Amino acid sequence: MLDEAFAVLKQYDWGSDMAPLAPIEDAVAVSHDQAEVRRDLENRLIATLQSDASRDAKDYVCRKLAIVGTVAAVPALASMLGQKDYSHMARMALERMPAPEAAQALRDATGKVSNELKVGVISSLGSRRDAASVSVLNVLLNDGDPAVARAAALTLGAIGSVDAAAVLKVAATSAARDKPAVIDALLACAEALLAGQKQTDALAIYRSLAADNQARLVRLAATRGILACTSKQS
Amino acid sequence: MSMFERTSRRRFLQTTGAAVAAPYIITSTALGNADCPAASDRIVMGGIGIGNMGRGDQSDFLHRKDVQYVALCDVRDDVRDKAKATVDDKYGNKDCTAYNDFRELLARSDIDAVHIATPDHWHAVMAIEACRQGKDVYCQKPETLTLREGPLMIAAARRYGRVFSGGSQRVLGDYRKYVDPAWAGELGRIKSINVNVNPLPKLCNLPAEEMAEKIDWNLWLGPAPWAPYNSKRCSGSFSINGASWRSFSDYSGGGMTDWGAHHFGGATFICDVRELQPEEVTYHEKSGVPYLSYRYPNGLIIYHNRPNTENLAIEGTPSERTPAKPVPMYKGEGGIHGDFIECVKTREKPFRDIELAVNTAVVSHLGNIAYQLRRSLKWDARAQQFPGDAEANRLVDRARREPWQV
Repeated sequence: MLDEAFAVLKQYDWGSDMAPLAPIEDAVAVSHDQAEVRRDLENRLIATLQSDASRDAKDYVCRKLAIVGTVAAVPALASMLGQKDYSHMARMALERMPAPEAAQALRDATGKVSNELKVGVISSLGSRRDAASVSVLNVLLNDGDPAVARAAALTLGAIGSVDAAAVLKVAATSAARDKPAVIDALLACAEALLAGQKQTDALAIYRSLAADNQARLVRLAATRGILACTSKQS
Repeated sequence: MSMFERTSRRRFLQTTGAAVAAPYIITSTALGNADCPAASDRIVMGGIGIGNMGRGDQSDFLHRKDVQYVALCDVRDDVRDKAKATVDDKYGNKDCTAYNDFRELLARSDIDAVHIATPDHWHAVMAIEACRQGKDVYCQKPETLTLREGPLMIAAARRYGRVFSGGSQRVLGDYRKYVDPAWAGELGRIKSINVNVNPLPKLCNLPAEEMAEKIDWNLWLGPAPWAPYNSKRCSGSFSINGASWRSFSDYSGGGMTDWGAHHFGGATFICDVRELQPEEVTYHEKSGVPYLSYRYPNGLIIYHNRPNTENLAIEGTPSERTPAKPVPMYKGEGGIHGDFIECVKTREKPFRDIELAVNTAVVSHLGNIAYQLRRSLKWDARAQQFPGDAEANRLVDRARREPWQV
């Protein structure tokens, strides 16, 4: 059954009947606690990815690897990150994959892919809250492409660590490309730090954003943050 | 102008008025009267996504005397043109600005609030950006496409002090015959309730079609995976059986989230667990047909598609009445839309505050994931994770197509 399904998958394209792929769907679900079956399934999926299968077939494969993919699938997926038609679906698999090699592949790609695709790669690092990418993002924060700089800022906000906040603080007081995104990210960092019992760090961020030179929306957000820190401390 | 360097709406009106007012006649409508606030005191609104549900939302907001509707956005030319004509006809002018790209609408400093009724895959991106731009938000249900989006939308609303209402008008409107006795204590302690909604979302593999309408296809797809145009893929009809985007997993959670927003929202309202999320979802099969039971921290069980059980069938303990509680209601006048506008004015939380709306959406998403993986799941609402379940945690979110980010 699975052999036939993968044979059909080779010819799969938009408009194809999806019913013959049911054995693949079944294999994903039932192999949850069957390591050998899942390894075989993953190998078949990787082989399809490396074949001349259609874009839709590879999209389908990436959706399945998003659930079953392991470090074994990372090289094949990483090779797609720079390809306009495949980059997003490769991230679909890599972004949620627990293997640290998946994060490394995304970090590596920030130095290789086009700016258009880089924005997506950076956002995937944010979704992973990848603390190891702070130094990479620090550089991208000053990228000449505003979309890249904005993505880097928002991703640092999603990471929300002390290190991420430190990088954003410097950007907030310099000629950052997208100051509003930097400030939004700083506020997100403060929220994460407050939730992580780092009130002192959070309070310092909020105080820095409560000054008169900030826009009213930011000052109000910072004031709410200061109150939250104070009430938590007391 | 930076989004953080905006002037207030009144200041905007004052300064622009000083520059351009002279050639125009100030109408009595603009000045206001006993029945209608002056233009400067109305809530200035815009709408994003003016298809089926958006058109209804637009109509409700447009016909309020305390709203000035100034802008709209849709990626379909004909929808955009008709929606602008509707607004212009109402006001007797040509002032409503129609946009293809929502970012231009959200960048306007004179707009106080927006309603969003795009397909679900856009909600989080747009609503979070709206909050960043200082807008209050009314967002159609289902408010989220993934579990991760909910906390991010709540955080953005709270960060910027925004009023953010979800969009199920049925939660309060349709279930009063259950809500009233439940909240009056007549049902005693509710042990379980059943919700029947179908179907599950499916992958869309419709073939490429010649584009038969003027639509910005790249913007329609937005954060969703690229796919070829097909009229059913992007149809805004209410079908959840393959003839609209509501059927497909890239854009929607299918019937589970579409009608689930109403029925699960109603069930959690009836049982007064709107502020909670389930801690466990158990996957059952009877005669090969799957169904679910959700367990809440207070012991309540919500079934999904329990065999041979009617929708909203309740197991209570009527012989043991519980203390009566006042039923929460909309504020202001005009249903859920009036509730939102009233809260924009007072800065209170609306009836369908985003946090409560997200709690309902979580029920639907957990169910979809349990059905997809065909097994039971535990859910840590505080961590927003499936504890010790790396596979299920992969389904908490999904990568968005560049350049879209939440």
